[in-house]
Order: sequence, then structure tokens, then C-alpha cells
Amino acid sequence: MSTSNIKAGYLPGLTDADVAWHSVSFGSGAEQLDVDMPMLSPAQLTAMAERVRTHSAAHLQSLSTAQIIDIISRAIARLLDKKDVYRLEAERLLPRLTGLAPDMLRLSLSAYLKTFRKPQLQRFVAEDFPNPAQLESFTPRSTGGWSKAVAPDLLVHVWAGNVPGLPLWSLISGLLVRAGNIGKVSSAEPLMASWFARLIVEVEPSLKDCLAVVWWPRDDTTRPAALFSQAEAVLAYGGNQSLDQIRQQVPASTRFLPHGHKLSFAIVSQSALTVRQAQNQARFAALDVARYEQQGCYSPHTIYVARGGAVSPREFAQLLAGELAALEHRFPRRTLLLEDAVSLAKWRQAKEFESVQHSDSSLIGDAAAPWAVAYSELPTSLAPSAMNRTVCVVAVDQMASVIRLIAGQKMYLQSAGVAASPEELFVIASELGAAGVTRICAIGAMTAPEAGWHHDGRFSLLDLVRMVDIEATTEHAAEAFTRYRD
Amino acid sequence: MHTSVANLQRDLLAFIAQDGCTDGEFNAMALQLFAHQFKNNLPFQRFCMQRGKTLRNVKNWTDIPAVPIDGFKDLSLSCTPIQECERVFMTSGTTRADVKGRHHHPTLEVWDASMRRGFSQFFMRGSINIRMAVLFPDETIMANSSLAHYLAMAVREFGAPGSGYFLDANGLQIQSLAQTLTQAVATGEPMAILGASYSFVHLMDALQVQNLSFKLPAGSRLFDTGGFKGQSRELAMDDFYDQLANTFGVARKDCINMYGMTELSSQFYDDGNQSLPSVKRGPHWIRSQLVDPVTGNAVASGERGILAHCDLANYNSVTSILTEDVGQTPPQANGGFFLHGRAQGAQAKGCSLAIDEFLRAAKT
Repeated sequence: MSTSNIKAGYLPGLTDADVAWHSVSFGSGAEQLDVDMPMLSPAQLTAMAERVRTHSAAHLQSLSTAQIIDIISRAIARLLDKKDVYRLEAERLLPRLTGLAPDMLRLSLSAYLKTFRKPQLQRFVAEDFPNPAQLESFTPRSTGGWSKAVAPDLLVHVWAGNVPGLPLWSLISGLLVRAGNIGKVSSAEPLMASWFARLIVEVEPSLKDCLAVVWWPRDDTTRPAALFSQAEAVLAYGGNQSLDQIRQQVPASTRFLPHGHKLSFAIVSQSALTVRQAQNQARFAALDVARYEQQGCYSPHTIYVARGGAVSPREFAQLLAGELAALEHRFPRRTLLLEDAVSLAKWRQAKEFESVQHSDSSLIGDAAAPWAVAYSELPTSLAPSAMNRTVCVVAVDQMASVIRLIAGQKMYLQSAGVAASPEELFVIASELGAAGVTRICAIGAMTAPEAGWHHDGRFSLLDLVRMVDIEATTEHAAEAFTRYRD
Repeated sequence: MHTSVANLQRDLLAFIAQDGCTDGEFNAMALQLFAHQFKNNLPFQRFCMQRGKTLRNVKNWTDIPAVPIDGFKDLSLSCTPIQECERVFMTSGTTRADVKGRHHHPTLEVWDASMRRGFSQFFMRGSINIRMAVLFPDETIMANSSLAHYLAMAVREFGAPGSGYFLDANGLQIQSLAQTLTQAVATGEPMAILGASYSFVHLMDALQVQNLSFKLPAGSRLFDTGGFKGQSRELAMDDFYDQLANTFGVARKDCINMYGMTELSSQFYDDGNQSLPSVKRGPHWIRSQLVDPVTGNAVASGERGILAHCDLANYNSVTSILTEDVGQTPPQANGGFFLHGRAQGAQAKGCSLAIDEFLRAAKT
């Protein structure tokens, strides 16, 4: 099996020989994988921008929304097909790229891809455009006049992340609104977006020059500046530091859509702490923790558990520990890099020191276990865990205390997994929403947002477009200029 | 002072004065200290119990649980009640600025003996004394800095007449230092310049503005420590030593880097920085292991690991500490290690907020 010459990127109009390649290694030993990343010169990026912009205007924009949905869903169907060459390649290479357990990756990937099938894509569009015709032509407004949603002629994506497939959200959004798309992959997971771009073109060859997938090194400033200056909108994922850096490179008049790192958590109310339900919730919570090794913005770091149920918060922590231990057999945790191990060790140390000082706190799971649950009776504010299956269980008296404990993190909050009765749900939801949470879901569904969700509280499609209005006055005025006027 | 502590100190001073030691001798001393610390340092005892380590199952110095350096921030690690301690050294707070690590010393007798012997062996290289220029504040300005105390001792015990400090509350005394160096060049008397690595960067920047460089007399040497810590621009180490050699006319083999920590009572040195990475070595009363930071298990030979040190001169706190520094065993080890710098916290590769970014955000 060849381990070299896997090339990332999708570069219409360029041959491999035209481009400088930079090799990045993943894993080690027999599992080592070398991926060549394309390093286009600033001039090549500028030319690419021009190519994608003009061809999108000519080809992509002439398609109907239904046609685009059809193309995307056909590409997705191939990635869901267990015998398809792309699917096989993904199953073979992504575990080595990300270190995620192959079985977990396979299951998570399928669950994720299912959100982009035809009916889900239709919901995706309907969520933001009750009248999808607005994407194609001027449609009448109830208040008078006409409106059309116009996509950016060039949308540049800066992707981060080794949650495999994350780039598909924004790339598919860009295609749905008919933008010309150029995405920059992260060196942590450069292949999924590259494959998807190639698949789209295999499914619909006329789109071959309407999208591109590129890369540049982390600290490069000239390449991104060259590309951003050509974009109508720049959408970026990353930590605040890298987003600030990108923001400085994006011209002030270019729309910038940053998606910062986020923090998620779960709440188990008293009503969900019966003996049977508690066991279920612990199992679901363990899955949320283990999937993608908590690298996702929607992954829980702390689980707040109410006191007073049949199962106590401490017992819930034990149940969760048991479920995490059981999951390890099916989905082994990835091998940690030294840097990850240092973070994890520091997190464990802090929890260990806490339990040396407070007998109410304890760290469950010994150092050799590939997971850890830190249990605390203290009112512990929400903070990131060390990821890689490290999670805090914090006992609380009532739901209102949770709101106090997450209050400091307002700008970072995203998903809250909630296990509560219907009566409690809407009360809690209002408070969570006011506190900064943008997504409330069942525990066990935290890492699989529904199609059309409002990512970080925003509109996936609506945020990309600009609305063009023809005001009623224009139409009235136009009457005066008809050939058949009296 | 209790007789038992006095006896321990006496044994340790004798141990340090020895010419080397056998594995058995090191082990015996380490276990004697472990027993003392387990009994008298209660937070450490709880820490050991949590790790399942007691007097019964610790048979070797490598069995002693290494306390992470954050323990010096969060716990009070002292066998002697801290109010009875003569001196406390504090960390500069590189990672968590709000909390400083504290290392309590009942007296500095052992610390001083350790410094004196190590400095003499690894930096003085057999010389009795040398004229020193120190680029660091003195002990009156930084009473809780172990490095300030270290350099004060260096000047007091090994400094030839004319030695002095060239950094005070007003900053680096460039003119006066330049005069001193010029004079040394004229008289042919060897000089040693000692300071934090970042002080050298500031000094070289200032000298470059004035277009000054020196060809210090044979026998001169430079001493830097601590890295840049965000206090100056970051330089590649190769460039740093090239610039040192060019600015002061001291060959890279005579540019010695010391690796020390507030949490230790002994220091490591390299034998010059002719080629990088240089091998760091300590005196016979300190030993190091490269471990997986989570399990504490030693990593395979040649792999990168986190440095854990067992410093017998740490008799009052804990002998064994787990650092956050990445090290590696060189092909020809001889007890030394490559130091690869502080382990950077894991970069979040997904969109989940990582601890490091969170802490940075919390500080601003």
C-alpha cells in the first residue's frame, strides 16, 4: 500500500507540476501517512479567484436550487455508499489522519453525511428561505416591491479542524446559495473537503471551475491577503487568535463571518435521575464525550447533575465512568501526541490537587485509563476540559445554579445537552438562551446537529447572501416608461 | 530545628561533598528523604496516597511520585512549618500569572552547597575565580528569586575583584558595561557575563545600535539561562549563540546555558553550545527521567518525553518533580538529556475551545 503522494486540494486549471507542494506527515511508523499540500503562489491564487468567480457566474448561477440540491445529494450518496472508491478512501485514510478509532469514524461520518441528503438539504434551504425562489429570481414581497438573494461572487472559506468533514457545512452552504467557493483546508484534516470538491465535479462536470480547495502554511500572510482581497465574503473557523489574525487580512469592505471556538455542556435534571433513566443518560453522555474526542464545538466538557434524584450526582459520575470504560473497548481513544498528553496531565493534576484539598471532589479513572471523570460537589464554573475523553460532573441544587456557573462564558457558549421533563425544558431553555446558549438538544445528540441548525445562532445560508430589493416606487415609476402608456 | 532534620542536612551536605555516588547510594538517600517527606509533608502524603504510593511500595527513586510543578502553586509543600522557613523562592509565573509557585527553604545551607559545587564543576571548569558582569537584578531587588540568589552567590564566591551588576531598577547599564568590557579587552583579563537569556537579547540589540562588539580575552565565557519567556523577541537558538559569539568574541563552546527551576535546589548545565541541541547534565545528587506526563511511566529510549527530576537537595519540599519541559535522551546518553523547551499546550485542532486559549482569554 502506497503511503506517499496523497495529494490534498482541488485546483482547476492547474496541473500538479504547476504547483509547489509541501508534505505533511501524520501518525508514525507503519501507520505514517504523508499528504502533499498545494502551495499556490499569490499570483496563482489571484488567477484561481478570477477563474472560480467567472465560471461560477456562468455555470453555477444558471442552475436552479433543485438542481444544486440534486448534485450535492448525489455526491453525498457516493460518500454514503460503502463500496464507493471515495468512501473506501475516507475509511482507510481518515483514521490515520485524525487518530480517531476507525469504527467510530465510520459511524460518525455516516450520521453526519446523512444530514446532507436531498430532503435534509431541502429543509436546510427552507429554514433560511421560506420562498426558495428568492435564490433564483426577484420574488414579490408582501409589503410591496421585489427581492432577490444574491450570493457572493467569491466566497473564501478558512477551515480549521480535525473533526472530519466539518468543512462540508460551509462548502455546501456556499454551493446552495450559488457562490463561487474557494476553501483553505487545515493541515490537521486536509482531505475530506478535497475529496468532496472532486466528487461534486465528477457528479456535475460543468462545475469543474466553480470551486477550488487550496492550502497555505499557518503563519503565511501574503497568500491569504492575496486571496482575501478577491473575495466578496470570507468565512473562517478557528480560535480567537487566528480569527483576529485573519480579520486583519480581510479588507474592511469584505464581509467577514468568523466562527470562533465554542464551549458546550450538558444538564441532567432531577426528573431524569431515576435508576433506569440515569443509566441511559450516562450512556448517551459517554457517547457525546467520546465522539470526535471532544474536538467539536458541540462536545460537552462539563455535565451538571441535579441533587435530589433517585440517583445522586456522584453515582451519575460513576455511571458515566463505567460507560466511558465500556466504550473504550468498542471505540479506543486515539493515541495522544505529547502536547495532548501534557494538557491532559495538567488537567488531571489540577483535579487531583482539588481532591487533595477537598474531600468532596474526586477524580475517577486512574492515570492509565484513556478517559477520566472529575467529580465535584463544589459549584464549578464551566471551563474547557482537556478533551480526549475528560469530563467534569458537577453537582448542583437546582437548574438556576447552572445559569450562574455558565454566566462567565457567554461568548463561548454553544450547545447544551438537556435531560429534563417537558415542563422543565422550556423554562430551562429560556434561561439557557438568555445566558448565551444557541443550541439545545438531547444528550446523545450533541455531536450531530440537525440539518438547518442555526450554527452559533446564525443563519447558514442567509448570512452568506445579500438581499437586493426592487422597491415599489421603481415599479410604479417604470409604468411611466412603457411603450404602451396612454 | 529538629535533630532528625539536622541529621538529614548533615548527611546531605556530606553526600554533595562526595565525588560522585553509586546507584545504591543515590537510592538510599532518595528513600531516606522520601520517608521524611511522606511523614512530615502532609499534602505530599495525600498526593502519594492518591497515587497508591506508600513507604511500603516505594523501593527505588523512580517509584517516588513526581509532583507536578503546579503543586508548588496549589499546595503548601514543606516539611518544616513555612513560618519557620528562612527563605521562600517564588516562580516568575510564566504560565499562570495570578498564582506563583512557592518553594520554602528552612535554611539555604544545602541549596547553597548544591549551587556552589555544581557551578564550580560545570561553569568555572576548574578556575578559582573570574571577573563577572551580571545582567540580572541583585537579591535586594528580587528577594524571592532563586536566580537572583544564585547569581549573588556566583559573584560572592567565584567573582574576581571588579565583578558587578549591570542591571538595576533603571534597566541595563549599557555604557558602563561597554566600558568594563573594553577595559577587559585592553588588560587581557578574562570576563564572564551572566544573565537571563532575554537580557542578552536586549543587550545585543542595544550594542548593535551603537555598532559595538568585543573580542573578549581568552578564558572568557558567557552564561545564559531561562530562555526568552516572552520578555524579548524570540530567537532561534542557533542564531542566539551565533550572535553571542559574534558580539562578545566568545566561542560557542564557552557559551554555557544553565537549566534551573525555582522548584529545584540544583541546576543542570551544558558543556557549551558548539552544536545544538546541547546535552544538559546535572551533578551526582540529581537524576532525571523522561516520562509520559499522564501515566508517569518512562518513555522508550530516544522518544520525546516530559522531564521528571529527582533532586536530593530538595530535602524540605519534595525530591521528585514533574516539569512541563520536553526532553529526549541523546544517542550517547551518559545521564544527560536534550532539552527541547516547554511543552506547548495542545493546539485545539477542532472547534472546541482549548484550555490554553481559554486561559489566555481569561487573562486579558
